[in-house]
Amino acid sequence: MKIKPLTQDVRLLLVLLPLMAVLSTLSPRFLTLDNLTNVVWSVCLIGILASGAIYPRITGGIDLSLGSMAALSGIVVDMFMNRFGFHWILAIALTLLIGALIGLFNGFIVAKIKVPAFVVTMAAKTYLYGVGLVVSQGAMLAILKPKPFIAIGTGRFLGLPIPIYIMFALALSSQFILKRSAFGRKVMAVGANEVAAKLSGVDPDSIRLAAYTISGVTSAIGGVVLASLTQQVFAAAASGVELDVMTALVIGGTSPIGGRGSVAGGLIGAIMVAFIVNGLNLMNVPASFHPIVTGSVIIVALLLNEGYLSPKKGGLSSARR
Amino acid sequence: MNDNSADGGILLECRSVTKSYSGTTVLDKVDFSIRRGEVHALVGENGAGKSTLVKLITGVTNRDSGDIVFDGKTVPLEHSRKLSQELGIAVIYQELSLIPGMTVAQNIFLTKEPLLGKTRLIDSKKMNRMAQELIEKYEFPLKATDFIDRISIAQRQLVEILKALSGHASLMIMDEPSSSLTKTEVEMLFRIIHSLRAEGISVLYISHRMEEVYALSDRVTVLRDGKLVSVLDKERISPAEIIRLMIGHKLEEAAIHHQLPRIESGVVLEVEGLTSVGKFQDISFLLHEGEVLGIGGLVGSGRTELVRALYGIDPIDAGKITYFGKPFAPSVRASIAAGIGFIPEERRLQGILATQSVTRNIGIPNLDLLAPRGVVRVKAEQEYSLRGIKLLNVKPPNPDQLVGNLSGGNQQKVVLAKWLVRDLKLIFIDEPTVGIDIGAKEEIYDHVRKLAGMGVSVILVSSDLPELTRLSDRVIVLRKGKVFHEFKECMLTSEMILRAASGITEGSDEN
Amino acid sequence: MSRQAVRRIILLALMLLICLMISRVNPIFFSVGNIMKLFQEAAQTGIVAVGFTLVLIAGGMDMSIGAVIAVTSMVCVNFLTYTKLPVAVFVPISLLVGALTGLFNGYFITRFKLPEFIVTLASKSILSGIALVIAVKDSMGFVKNVYIQNETYIWFGGQAFGLVYRATIAFVVLGVATQIFMKKTRAGTNIYATGANAQAASLSGINTTRTVIGIYMFSSICASIAAIFISSRMMTAMPELGIGSEMDVIAAVVIGGTSFSGGQGDLWGTMLGAVFMALVKNVILKMGISPWVQPIVIGGIIVITVIFDVSQKKLAEKLATKAKLRKLALEGGQAAA
Repeated sequence: MKIKPLTQDVRLLLVLLPLMAVLSTLSPRFLTLDNLTNVVWSVCLIGILASGAIYPRITGGIDLSLGSMAALSGIVVDMFMNRFGFHWILAIALTLLIGALIGLFNGFIVAKIKVPAFVVTMAAKTYLYGVGLVVSQGAMLAILKPKPFIAIGTGRFLGLPIPIYIMFALALSSQFILKRSAFGRKVMAVGANEVAAKLSGVDPDSIRLAAYTISGVTSAIGGVVLASLTQQVFAAAASGVELDVMTALVIGGTSPIGGRGSVAGGLIGAIMVAFIVNGLNLMNVPASFHPIVTGSVIIVALLLNEGYLSPKKGGLSSARR
Repeated sequence: MNDNSADGGILLECRSVTKSYSGTTVLDKVDFSIRRGEVHALVGENGAGKSTLVKLITGVTNRDSGDIVFDGKTVPLEHSRKLSQELGIAVIYQELSLIPGMTVAQNIFLTKEPLLGKTRLIDSKKMNRMAQELIEKYEFPLKATDFIDRISIAQRQLVEILKALSGHASLMIMDEPSSSLTKTEVEMLFRIIHSLRAEGISVLYISHRMEEVYALSDRVTVLRDGKLVSVLDKERISPAEIIRLMIGHKLEEAAIHHQLPRIESGVVLEVEGLTSVGKFQDISFLLHEGEVLGIGGLVGSGRTELVRALYGIDPIDAGKITYFGKPFAPSVRASIAAGIGFIPEERRLQGILATQSVTRNIGIPNLDLLAPRGVVRVKAEQEYSLRGIKLLNVKPPNPDQLVGNLSGGNQQKVVLAKWLVRDLKLIFIDEPTVGIDIGAKEEIYDHVRKLAGMGVSVILVSSDLPELTRLSDRVIVLRKGKVFHEFKECMLTSEMILRAASGITEGSDEN
Repeated sequence: MSRQAVRRIILLALMLLICLMISRVNPIFFSVGNIMKLFQEAAQTGIVAVGFTLVLIAGGMDMSIGAVIAVTSMVCVNFLTYTKLPVAVFVPISLLVGALTGLFNGYFITRFKLPEFIVTLASKSILSGIALVIAVKDSMGFVKNVYIQNETYIWFGGQAFGLVYRATIAFVVLGVATQIFMKKTRAGTNIYATGANAQAASLSGINTTRTVIGIYMFSSICASIAAIFISSRMMTAMPELGIGSEMDVIAAVVIGGTSFSGGQGDLWGTMLGAVFMALVKNVILKMGISPWVQPIVIGGIIVITVIFDVSQKKLAEKLATKAKLRKLALEGGQAAA
């Protein structure tokens, strides 16, 4: 009876399971624990980023700066710890603060000056990449200490890698915020109909500001985890990840028209993308095919979302911005 | 000019045209004709079928049956915009169809620019010259090289007219062309309509403004409830007569008069000298507890602007608002916190979150109660939603239904429900029943009356005269941004409201 | 109009200032060789920017242009490596890459009303994969750096009269021709109309769907043309060639005064913008500033320009409403009197 609001996510699971079955028959290595952990591992970054990127997306915008932001965060956290000698907790805290400020800046230009979100964040993607280059002196830097910092990415807890916990913690809190908090309700309302939301007492500008700020913070978290996991930082460390994140969100049913979306769906989307890529790997399909698959998947998912490919007629996408 | 129409050339003739939308007949065997070189007014209340008739003529929609003959040519059942343009039918849109960033000349000749000799290049000089000649011929206050974004709305309408003229239109349809014009601009428009008529061009003029219809028209066609009521010749046109025909004197219509009661309850809202430059000025009134105060007036008279400002959406330039004895500076948030609700016009654009469930829609303005600490109490939210659904009889009674998939009437019920579930003291309602079926309409009326019975004060804006007459305890009629008349403690009929809205003071011009 | 003129003057003055500054630090700057190279670089961005300008004027967005460069040059490299076909045959064929990409983008955008930047981002992804797949590989399966030795092909990247690069000539010809097309033909006017107000445009009888699809095809074909010049100048091509260069292009177009809201802008501005971007990059190089600063400058230029444009527009609107209110208040007073 209460299943109704879950249909989108459930439907995704119903696609995911056969996909796994197909992949496991195609490659016997697929269903091994090692391989599955690997997949989840590669999902971590996308999942962490997606749990924040979903906010701007629902309000009808987009954050394309998250890849550069994540890479810069890795460089910055390394700078704080290993060049300035800050305690690792302080270093992470400062990095997240920077992420928040940059997100706030993006949000300010989008919400207050009313510049299209993709222009603002695309430019941010470019200049943040440049800042990353300057701070890292264009080099690929290895992070070997401090130990507790490295443990964030490489450590295990109860047999599972710690990043998985971080991803689930972020995704769950994001899901909770979206489904259960007043703020989440307002984000959804702004995406669905800004005018109606305003007449019901929601301030769309401050909601947008907050949305981009959150996305900045999760990008910074993603960057810190990535740095610790790979133990190396460079300005192009996460380049192009924004497309994977968008693909995951679109697969997960977050509508580009705004006002709809679920982090759970986004996560399943991320896992699906990773499975497909992993499956291609296991079947010895060269890596060069991966972007082709990602690009095609995003278009098919968009068409599905807008109801063009489903047997039921009519999407909800009557009002485009 | 009467000679012109007397030579009897019929330009457009509709015979027995019928149109229905999903079972409801909106135009029922209507005969309609326009002579060459006449100004023909089409009048009727909202929902009388005026805009449908125009859509059939311009090919926006197709008629179900009946014949349309234009300029001697029979218009096929499969009509289209393109065909109507080719025939010489032009619609003067308010501001829709011009391209900002282009000049007057470019807009006039868009897609039919003069070319340089045998090349495919546009001859801009010639184009500007042709445009300027056209402008001078009609003595329009325009320059061919002016950019559209730099000229006033009235001037843009002139460009639309020129665009139609350059396409050799023989019929120009103007839908409420004066609603966003100033007084001097309206006078200019009138002069232009006269010169068009002198040219032999027919003008179909649609307006709620009786004085304009009176001043301009050679003939008037009156529609009511999708049927032709009457065609008046010049001699028979008088504002009072038109209003009488529009409202009708059928039995059931006559029953819609209403004895306005004496109000003795306490004052909830006191408005003094409220002004928003260019929208309304010097508005003062009192609102009592449990009273339904109707606000009448024509489109553009400042009704919607007034309630928007009172609710705190748009700023106020001058004036004082007292709410429960205390000065009140409205902002949407402060209003909601103070127990004020708002139901906007244009439900789809401003009222509902179409892609969200009923529960979410009802929850949004109530988050202060549902989530005092930021976390929504889902049970309470569900309970609010169910209460709202039950209270207003939303069908289907499913709280998880997306509001966009509900019928218009049920959408409006949801918009109403989100305010009814909270402790409301005052609610602004703007055009609550536009595009809603009759059953849902009655239910919404019941609720408005019930609300008032519970002591909630209501300010109701409506163009639906029977609705306004029936629901209101008192009616203020606005005209050109000012309070023109107040009806209280008297017998009220639709006709009285419309007369006031048209600027006819009681006792004068009686037929 | 006048606002645009002011912009141009500011931009020219800025360029002049930069030139003066740099010539002090680095006298080689004003050598004929360097100037020619600067214009050649401007042309490489500029040819793509011409097409992109039309996309923005039509109210769209094209993120796939960089990847079109990659695939087109890979196609050429394949022809050069595996066939003996003459340049005059395979270069036109390679331009089909652009035509097809534009058709794909335009079809999905108009037919399904999908957001432009996501569709073109997706095709960017697909194309960058295709570039890798079709790249010429050695026996181990690694991408091989092909050296282009075909004389005819290299001709494109060379200098005419030993002076002006052919790319520059192509850029100027393309830019001027497109400018004339946009301002002087019905089709060009239709593009402005579609971008400014699509609804009004179709009410006026313009086939906006066909216009939009045509624009995306033109944009991608421009990218394909640029690919020929770039690869022949470098005498090699990698599968990453041009990917990411869309930011340079966007910066050049935006700086030239074409706005993201559609219906506005022209090719003179874009040509100026392309030269400006080439100049800025040249300065960064010649002044010994770290090249890592480049993306900061490009991103910064885009943000600042866009904010500048939006605020300027808002200010103008505000002034217009104020004037209107004053007029209304005046007339209201008259009516009351």
